[in-house]
Amino acid sequence: MTIRNTLRDHGQRYRPRMACLKKAEKVLLEMQDPKSGVKSQPQRLVITTIPHAITGEDIVAWLADRFQIDTREARSLGSMLVALGFVYPLQDHKRLLLKPDASLYRFQTPYFWPAQQWPVEDTDYAIYLAKRNIRKKGILEVHEQEQYNHLHKWMNHKWDFIVMQAKEQYRAAKERKKPDRVVFDCQERAYWVVHRPPPGTVSAMDYGLDRRIDPNADEAKTPDYYERIMIFTQQSIMRPRVKSSVSIGALVKYSATYNSHDPFLSKCLPSNPWHTDDVTYWTLNLPKRKLGVLGRLRGFEMGHGSDHAGEGRADLQDVPGPRRPSLDQHRRENDGDHGERPEASAQIRDGRRPDPHLHAHEERLVRPLHEIAGFQGHVEKGHRPRGAQVHVGAPRRRSSPSPRSRSFSFQRRSCASSEAQLEQNAKNRRPSLSPIVLRQQELEERAKMAANAPVDITQVMSKLSRRK
Amino acid sequence: MHELFLVCLTHTRLHSRYVLQMVVACYRHLASCVGGCTDGLQLRDELRQTRERARNLAATTCERLTSHLRDKKLPVEERKEMELLWVAFSSSLELLHIDMCKVYNMGGIFTLAECPSLVQTGLQGGNSEVAARALSLPDLNGPLNSDLIDGLENREHKTMEQEISQIDRMIDDMETKVNVLRWMVEPRGPLDGDPLGSADTASLGLLSVDEERLAGRRPGGERNHVVALLLMCAVILVASTLSVCIFFFS
Repeated sequence: MTIRNTLRDHGQRYRPRMACLKKAEKVLLEMQDPKSGVKSQPQRLVITTIPHAITGEDIVAWLADRFQIDTREARSLGSMLVALGFVYPLQDHKRLLLKPDASLYRFQTPYFWPAQQWPVEDTDYAIYLAKRNIRKKGILEVHEQEQYNHLHKWMNHKWDFIVMQAKEQYRAAKERKKPDRVVFDCQERAYWVVHRPPPGTVSAMDYGLDRRIDPNADEAKTPDYYERIMIFTQQSIMRPRVKSSVSIGALVKYSATYNSHDPFLSKCLPSNPWHTDDVTYWTLNLPKRKLGVLGRLRGFEMGHGSDHAGEGRADLQDVPGPRRPSLDQHRRENDGDHGERPEASAQIRDGRRPDPHLHAHEERLVRPLHEIAGFQGHVEKGHRPRGAQVHVGAPRRRSSPSPRSRSFSFQRRSCASSEAQLEQNAKNRRPSLSPIVLRQQELEERAKMAANAPVDITQVMSKLSRRK
Repeated sequence: MHELFLVCLTHTRLHSRYVLQMVVACYRHLASCVGGCTDGLQLRDELRQTRERARNLAATTCERLTSHLRDKKLPVEERKEMELLWVAFSSSLELLHIDMCKVYNMGGIFTLAECPSLVQTGLQGGNSEVAARALSLPDLNGPLNSDLIDGLENREHKTMEQEISQIDRMIDDMETKVNVLRWMVEPRGPLDGDPLGSADTASLGLLSVDEERLAGRRPGGERNHVVALLLMCAVILVASTLSVCIFFFS
């Protein structure tokens, strides 16, 4: 049964499915069970008593028990029920929250439950506001008054009807008993707080844009509908068939290609060394030395002939080497204290041969700076290559360093951190605890606190007296 | 003579419109109890009777209004009056249609035969006074015979479907047969109508007072406070009158 909408403009006016509403209805019905449902108590007003009031803490406890969830989740689920309008607060009616204390709530009558298929009508809202305004002037809030004026302008043609209907509804309500009248007023007020929230609040009934097609309507069995089914089945039949050996082979090939990228099939990456003390990540990611074209060219420049071309190609293999800082880093480190590389610069300054543990084929490419022909004129003077010192030892001031200083061989020579140095650095770092150990320690501490905490008599007594 | 006849006719039409509005308002109050703790066979029977009366009124009013509005010889003043009545009537019908659909839907969820747990809404009393008002009777008959219980719900469900489709068709007919431009209709009354009697100082006012009290205190404690205060005031009054008497007579 659809409530008719007389404006036939075929625009976007259908509300999307809100599946949560049906589920919430079922939960609500379970809560009503006299044996296993939520316990209720009477609400005492000045003159009268109204039954079926429930406390927030009872609701939270029931939800936690029913769905086997913890109290925080139960509380947020309960807040959702209040926000959707299935349960309404008796004491702070404007805030649709579930407070897990002794504050009172009541179940909303099914007539005012939120329905997905029927939008809330503005006519009803206008009647409600008119009812309140007629009963007592000035009772409307600012946003309600604004809405009232807006509706008066927009629904002006129906205004006589709205006012008359408001009066008739008020007179019909007077026929009821006083407590029932109070309950009905609460229910109606709660309904409109949910569906016409005050400005600045978030409504749980927000669903975004309207849809063009009614999601509740059954699809009409028109010829077009059957044609679509026929096209679909024809295409499924016409689809080319593949032999299982071919398709399975393709699957196997795909899996083999992407095996290493699959987080389930391949091993997980090593951990962050800053969190755990495992340096596998760094070892794996050490920069690999590729001589490549440039290296070979340098080799030729330095006088190596084509007989080393083969070795040059072999050099193309990735060789994990010691940590190799860039030129900038080298400059920075030589600014102040030399720290880890006094030996390298000293070696070069003295014109000694570089480190013996460098690979044999690399040694041939490495020559002391002052042997390199054409080096900036310092060599011609014949004395110690102070230019080298300037280049190597002192901080670089020139904006564009000479291309030779950027050469691969120069960089390699200036690097001095060895594995020993790395290990030294690792030892100097502060050791950190792994998070697993930290968590265990935390849990143990909490258990100790709980066991040793003294029982607070005053708290127990006040709880008992509140329960009364 | 013709004018007198028209005045009488308008009067009857207005009267039937008011009655229809009253019935629709009562139906809404009754519908709000479906599924709650006061739901039962009696409520469903009251709903059925109210619905019947509403449909009969709607059918007669629809006939009269349609025939008059299709009359091209109607004077302008009369036409305006008719259009106003027509807008009010169609809005009432729409409200009735909405309420009937909701009752139909909820009746499907809360079938009394299978007796699921009814929602504890806090209502206590019956709705016979509201139904009596809807049917314009001094009071309703006693509760239903238990013999009628079996099969009543099923029959009711089927008849409701038919009734809803009947109202649907009525609204459709009105839309197609009569061309009334709603936005051109001007209302007569003021923005908020005449203020109703303040004998019943809003029950919501009662609630707001209560909310303030309950916010701070435990339920049940404040009753004793009120009684104690009243006693004290009474004692003070008595003491003061006695002292005045003694002063004057001594």
